[in-house]
Amino acid sequence: MFINYEHENHVYNVTVERRKNHYYIMYDNTEYTVEADEIKPGQLRIKLGDRVIKCVITEGEKDKFVFVDGDVFKVKPVELTGAKKTKEKMEGDLSSPISGKVVSIKVKSGDSVKKGDILMVIEAMKMEYLIRAPYDGKVKKVNFKEKDQIEIGQNTVELIRNKEA
Amino acid sequence: MFKKVLVANRGEIAVRIIKACQEMGIKTVAVYSEVDKNAPHVHLADETVNLGEPTPAESYLNIPKIIEVAQDLGAEAIHPGYGFLAENPDFAQACHDKGIKFIGPSPGVISLMGDKIAAKKTMEKAGVPIIPGYHSIKQDTSTLVKEGKKIGFPLLVKAAAGGGGKGMRIVHSEDFLEESIEGAKRESKSSFGDDTVFLEKYLDKPRHIEFQILADEHGNTIHLFERECSIQRRHQKIIEETPSPVMTPALRRQMGEAAVKAAEAVGYTNAGTVECMVDGDLNFYFMEMNTRLQVEHPITEMTTGMDLAKWQLRIASGMELTLKQKELSQRGHAIECRIYAEDPSNGFLPSIGTLERVESPTGPNVRDDTGIYTGMEITPYYDPMLAKLVVGSENRGESIDKMIWALSRYVVLGVTTNISFLKKVLEHEEFRNGNITTHFIDNYFKDWTIAKEGLPVDAIIALAVYDSMHTKTQEVVRYKEVDPHSPWKHVGRWRMGAGV
Repeated sequence: MFINYEHENHVYNVTVERRKNHYYIMYDNTEYTVEADEIKPGQLRIKLGDRVIKCVITEGEKDKFVFVDGDVFKVKPVELTGAKKTKEKMEGDLSSPISGKVVSIKVKSGDSVKKGDILMVIEAMKMEYLIRAPYDGKVKKVNFKEKDQIEIGQNTVELIRNKEA
Repeated sequence: MFKKVLVANRGEIAVRIIKACQEMGIKTVAVYSEVDKNAPHVHLADETVNLGEPTPAESYLNIPKIIEVAQDLGAEAIHPGYGFLAENPDFAQACHDKGIKFIGPSPGVISLMGDKIAAKKTMEKAGVPIIPGYHSIKQDTSTLVKEGKKIGFPLLVKAAAGGGGKGMRIVHSEDFLEESIEGAKRESKSSFGDDTVFLEKYLDKPRHIEFQILADEHGNTIHLFERECSIQRRHQKIIEETPSPVMTPALRRQMGEAAVKAAEAVGYTNAGTVECMVDGDLNFYFMEMNTRLQVEHPITEMTTGMDLAKWQLRIASGMELTLKQKELSQRGHAIECRIYAEDPSNGFLPSIGTLERVESPTGPNVRDDTGIYTGMEITPYYDPMLAKLVVGSENRGESIDKMIWALSRYVVLGVTTNISFLKKVLEHEEFRNGNITTHFIDNYFKDWTIAKEGLPVDAIIALAVYDSMHTKTQEVVRYKEVDPHSPWKHVGRWRMGAGV
């Protein structure tokens, strides 16, 4: 299965397959084969080669919390929702928070998006940054294509805001 | 000894006091607000009374209601803990008027020590060193400027009624003195409704070192050594330790004697703390006296073997101190870390939410004073301190190692906490070397953020395994079909089971 985790505006793409208590995890072009058991609810003991990862995971209302090696990380599984049709529009724009490479474009001109939808994924320093729709609207123009270089502050997508009903 | 005591507080300190009462065979009454009805202090007490609305003014600060509860249930004494009503002279007086013993010093002493100018004047008279400064009532600008020049620079302009950095200015030269005085006065007026300021010499490499005092009602006063509390954020302590890494036997004797003298000068009774600033040359100056049990009292207990909460109860019931100063000694070293629901990456702002999971570390000489539980709601009504983790060891280095070990095993999920931050502070070379000042956090951790290195690969593996374990077959299909543009694509082709 394929999962995207969002942590502090970065997205982590992971694939995982399971055979009994063996798990095959692919992340950042590296494969990890682990053996794992749930010792008590939410508490895992994961054997990776000659070391053991001990962790505790809980699910809150929106977020997952993972405790590993004494630190806690709050992550959100990313929902990739489909586009929805809308009627009235207003103008708006979205600039890139970083300089990097466009790795994925989720929309094309004419698409309708809902607030929070992912429009574009930009990669910099091995981290991914999400450009999300700040409001419901319609895509007027996508200014980049995949693999393009993008500079900080450049407008990624021109998004026309839906007027309040 | 009392037969029944009302504890007018909540959280870990209420739990701490109730446990001390239980050990001594004293019945306890807990009071609580609506949101605390499932709190540990409520479960522990023999009798409980709901004070109503969660706003402190309606509940934990409601003097008439608390007094009424004590009278109705026949509690002979009230322990105020710290915070809330602990240093409120009107509350102490109200207890006294109704024939209830307030566990703490007299209303007069609380009132005197609550006025920082009056407190310093009293200490100066008693021969306790105070920071060179101007603490008089003549408050016109020209007098203040003249006095400021006498003290020299850098100097501090401070609101008399102040706290938390409000109404405070550091002045580095004469040119800025007048405008700083006026600015501090304006800020103080709007924050505290009082524009009295005082001027003080600004100390180089300041440390906050305090002495624990116990005084009975028969004229005996002892000190229980120092606590080093220099590690602070937003003018609040987060890590405390004893002994202080800079303390020498001579300085300890000098400061201890001064602290006892300070307490005796005001006729102090019960537990109290004399807070001092110590500069780079180990000169010490009286700052203020806290007329209550301190948050950080467990490190003193860990190194002296004395139980301060029990001694508070004994003293209040009229018992005499059994130990003399010369019989007291400290053994080993102890550290306390205050675990807060707050975000160190975001200006230490309090975080609220539900505690989805809480697991505290246990082990030899590891003490966790807490009033939290799994499922508890952290609300914006009260102080966001979740727990006090205390460790003791033979020496400072071992205590630091033990604390890092314990923090690494403290699981608090659901709200953002400062646990990782505390660990980073303890791991810092300058902390380990004992080179700490009250500016430590500002100097070394100003823009610290946990997210810098992103999600570690161990966390990603853990999440993937967890989600794989907890996902049913149909849901796996849904994941696959969700979006043809999904960015997992760029991880490249990957064959299931490859490499096995």
